[in-house]
Amino acid sequence: MSDVAKSSGGAAPGYALRTGLGPQALAGLALVALPVGLLVTLTLWPTVRMVGATFSVDGHLSAERYFAFFNDVYTMANLRYTLEMGLVSAIAALAVSFGIALYLRFSAGRIATMIHGLSLFPLFVPSIIISYALVRFLGPNGLFQLMLEQVGFTQYRTPYLTPVGPFLAFVWENLPLPVLVLSAGLSQVSDHAVEAARDLGAKSPRILWEILLPQMRRSLLIAFALIFMGIIGAFTVPYMLGPPAPEMMSVFMQRTLGNLQDPASAQVQAVVLMVISSIVGGFYIATMVKSSAGAR
Amino acid sequence: MKRTPFGGLILLVSMGLAMLGPIVTVILWAFAVKWRYPHLLPTEWGMKYWFAMLGRETVMTPVLTSLALTSIATTAAALICWPAAYAFARLKFPGRQLLLFSFIAAQAVPKFALFVSIAVIFLKLGLVGNFWGVVLVQMLSAVLFMIWIPTAAFRGIPPALEEAAFDLGASRLRVFLFITLPQAMPALAASYVLAFVSILFEVDSALLIGAPTITTMPLLLMTLSSKVIVQEAAVLCVMIWVPCFALMMLSRRFMTARGIAQGFGA
Repeated sequence: MSDVAKSSGGAAPGYALRTGLGPQALAGLALVALPVGLLVTLTLWPTVRMVGATFSVDGHLSAERYFAFFNDVYTMANLRYTLEMGLVSAIAALAVSFGIALYLRFSAGRIATMIHGLSLFPLFVPSIIISYALVRFLGPNGLFQLMLEQVGFTQYRTPYLTPVGPFLAFVWENLPLPVLVLSAGLSQVSDHAVEAARDLGAKSPRILWEILLPQMRRSLLIAFALIFMGIIGAFTVPYMLGPPAPEMMSVFMQRTLGNLQDPASAQVQAVVLMVISSIVGGFYIATMVKSSAGAR
Repeated sequence: MKRTPFGGLILLVSMGLAMLGPIVTVILWAFAVKWRYPHLLPTEWGMKYWFAMLGRETVMTPVLTSLALTSIATTAAALICWPAAYAFARLKFPGRQLLLFSFIAAQAVPKFALFVSIAVIFLKLGLVGNFWGVVLVQMLSAVLFMIWIPTAAFRGIPPALEEAAFDLGASRLRVFLFITLPQAMPALAASYVLAFVSILFEVDSALLIGAPTITTMPLLLMTLSSKVIVQEAAVLCVMIWVPCFALMMLSRRFMTARGIAQGFGA
């Protein structure tokens, strides 16, 4: 016992010096100082500095660069393409995973286990690998085309270098999270509720719409926000699979910075993307804080 | 809502094709010596391109650079993040919730855009194209895994055992080394593997901070993927990804819905 008393609250919780900076508080702050410092120097500071830099033209405060951004037709086409890609791919990924989660909820056995496993496979496949693999699979003369031709279908047109290429890759990559979240959610809907509704004459679509979907709303929203943010910021997938124009924002930024050597414009593009992402992120964090506050 | 096994089978086959088809294609290419249109499968098999790739300096240098970069960045991140995770889980200090939360909030920042802001600063400091500049930025990518999984693991260890050891007069260090640490070890190892793999295959930082002086394995893969000889990129993919896949399968216990959701802060 003496050790605990001396150390003014050891590793065991529940003792706590709540006021003043006791030894434990100092130890805690010291231990987290380095990763927090990394976050401050390599996330907070560069971001704040960049926002400042984009508003400074020849030493004066000016929004000139943003006017240029929003008045440039090509830039706006890229921005719109990025947001549409995020929206469409995220909704498609959610729809597919909801279907898979529904199947898993009402089935058991070996087939269900295998489908579950397959839907989680993308967790283990980095973006660059799946992008390259999709080029080989769906690209011209790829395995998919060869398979179709074996069964006599010769009209295959590859999605490679069209917006469909990155779309398919994004849906592929983003199945695991919603499948996990939605099947966890669906498993909490009791069989009794579903059976009761069925006994009262409800058809499957009505059960889906009035019992299952409302309970999934928050999970769906959280998953949508996460997937959408991931897609609009993605670089590798559109770089490897997408059309040369329009470009998604990260590819556009890379070209602006690397090929055009125009860091000023690249920074404006980065800030716009960050602002959009943080709006979605803010909504996501608000949903989370609400739900974790409810849980405690 | 019972489905017929037939419906399940159709779903299984189409899922199998969609999820495994792309990777299977790459594996076939890696072991194909000759695979010409319109043959469904390679007509000549072998490891020819493996020997060719392994013997080439332009291939091995990026691979070794990547392994060095990734090992250093992941280990450095572990050294600073694991103790912090312990503090987040077990110690009370002012700002704890806020600081822990800041690690989630940082994930909402689009990485590529963030790296643009860092690249502009590094350009002025002469850190672009610098090995240690890349290490520093890659450490950022490890933070998510290295804070969240270990914090959850330390929190999940029941304090009763630790308290009992304290009561028997063990010092704090001894309790940590012999009771807390062994229980947290699998989670710590998993966080290391997941961070290692995600850094190893990361394109963004290598491209914006490392290029053109530092060529990493993913950048090499991008270059090779547009080459006429398909096998080269395929061999590189299989060579690097398969061992990583095996390692990740060992850590998959920590990739559960809860784990991932916690990783994203959900």
